[in-house]
Amino acid sequence: MRRFLGMVLFAICVPLSMVLLGRAVYWLVAGAEYLATSLGAPPTYGAAIANVILLMLVFVMTTAALLTIGERKWSAMIQNRIGPNRIRVFGNSAGGIFFLAADALKMLTKENINPSQRSRVLYELAPMAAFAPSFALFAVVPVGPAVDSVVNGVRTTVALQVANIDAGLLFVFGIASLAVYGTALAGWASNSKLAILGGVRASSQMISYEVSLGLALVGSMMAYQSLRLEEMVRAQGQLLWGFLPALGFFLQPVGLLVFFVSAFAETKRTPFDLPEGESEIVGYFVEYPGMKFGMLFLAEFIEVVVLAAITAAIFFGGWHPVLFEGWLRENLSPIWFASVCAGAFLTKVLLLCWLQLIVRWTLPRFRFDQIQKLCWKVLLPVALANVFITGALILVDPSLELLGLVGLVEIAAMAVITAAVSRKVEVPAHAHAAAAAVAGH
Amino acid sequence: MIDRAEVWVFWVFAVPLIMASAGVVVARNPVNSAMSLVAAFFFLAGIYVLLTAHLLAFLQVLVYAGAIMVLFLFVIMLLTTGDQDFERTRLKVMQVAGAFGAAGVVAVVVLAVNRLGPMPMSAVPSNFGTVKAVGRLLYTQYLLPFEATSLLLLVAIVGAVVVAKQRI
Repeated sequence: MRRFLGMVLFAICVPLSMVLLGRAVYWLVAGAEYLATSLGAPPTYGAAIANVILLMLVFVMTTAALLTIGERKWSAMIQNRIGPNRIRVFGNSAGGIFFLAADALKMLTKENINPSQRSRVLYELAPMAAFAPSFALFAVVPVGPAVDSVVNGVRTTVALQVANIDAGLLFVFGIASLAVYGTALAGWASNSKLAILGGVRASSQMISYEVSLGLALVGSMMAYQSLRLEEMVRAQGQLLWGFLPALGFFLQPVGLLVFFVSAFAETKRTPFDLPEGESEIVGYFVEYPGMKFGMLFLAEFIEVVVLAAITAAIFFGGWHPVLFEGWLRENLSPIWFASVCAGAFLTKVLLLCWLQLIVRWTLPRFRFDQIQKLCWKVLLPVALANVFITGALILVDPSLELLGLVGLVEIAAMAVITAAVSRKVEVPAHAHAAAAAVAGH
Repeated sequence: MIDRAEVWVFWVFAVPLIMASAGVVVARNPVNSAMSLVAAFFFLAGIYVLLTAHLLAFLQVLVYAGAIMVLFLFVIMLLTTGDQDFERTRLKVMQVAGAFGAAGVVAVVVLAVNRLGPMPMSAVPSNFGTVKAVGRLLYTQYLLPFEATSLLLLVAIVGAVVVAKQRI
């Protein structure tokens, strides 16, 4: 019972703290705007710089760093272990948070051993080439809606989005495709057979899945009539039949599935972790010491956060709180409503990160031919069919209601198929409790 | 202020663009050369953005830097084994001819830019370079070249499959 209450309390505290975080970010962005205009900068410069620092550096970086700990903790729970608990401050392991400091110290102070036959420039360049594009992707993600405010006597809008570009989704595809170079170069430049195997596997996998990644979102582009992520989020606020929000989840369930699988393959995490398969080839980063390895390692977690953010923006309503939205809009001041929206978005991002951790620790690794078959023979035709069906449905009924209906049918079909093919595994009743007792829970 | 910032951003992209383009020619290792080309595509995309051609910039990065050059790199990595550094050409004739050619190109560019003189800046319509505007143009005025190109690509794919697979 205590455990249940604790979980309920946790589930309430996370969105609440995210709302407060959103309010703080709005306050800081407006403050930066005030400071910049006082110093004589043109309008929106201060807000843009604050957004770059707060969203791209602070939020993404902190979440990615915490995910490294979260992953160890969740993998431990799934495998019935305790997980990181050896570093204690005042006798408290605090969920393993202190391992973050230990990891950073370890990586920064490790001896810098480089392979002597490496390609010097490219060897140093590869971690950066893996690290930078994942960061840049977050630039187009709309974290919070635009709020009208008066800064220094000038009416401006403050939004939690770094860049609201017309071809937003194309920016995502373009920059995401640059991430290949980090892994491919890391494999080639370290002049090791295992590393180059990893690099070659990574690049072949990533360019294959890029195709279905792009095609999966074409349906959403057609449904929301835009490539601008902010407009796509705004369009998800409309209601179908007066009650169902037009989320991408309802309109494009097949697109969501294909996109999520392809993006998961792009992050090179476990069902798709052939480039780094620890049990066979260690991976493209095998020759990298210390913080250079750390950057390659962290790039993966940044990709996890960015993938969660883009999925949340396109398929789960972005910053729309969805529940009680009308009531919140009427009864809160604009800035607090915007904070609630930002909080809703951040909560969705965290939930999707958590989903990715679970997928990573429950599914076994594919074989290489299975990976290519899944991409070219399953995902690509499905994505193509989705494009044509979505286009036809929008042509027949531009109000999206027919598309929503077909989407609901598709969700039901997926649920039925999942239930039909799932296997019942007999677990002896006492086994779980015994394992938990051994693990010390 | 905004104009000055634009000039700064222009130099931020222009200087590395020239350096990367030079790197493509100068680098003796094919992988370095290919990576310089990728960098050149990327910085050229920055110049496109400054010209408010966002769509073109992203497509450039997506298609050339993200897809085509990856395949190039893939082939180079798999096919070149060991030290494949090209030896410095010892032929004096080649060097002299190359120098003349380079000087000629520089002269043509300088003359052309001088002939143009200062150009008046014209305001860009608000929908310039947006996805909608470019898409409308592609699917109305330039429909025939567009479809012809897609047909060409299809033929190329079929040809590649036929050449690569003996038994289909």
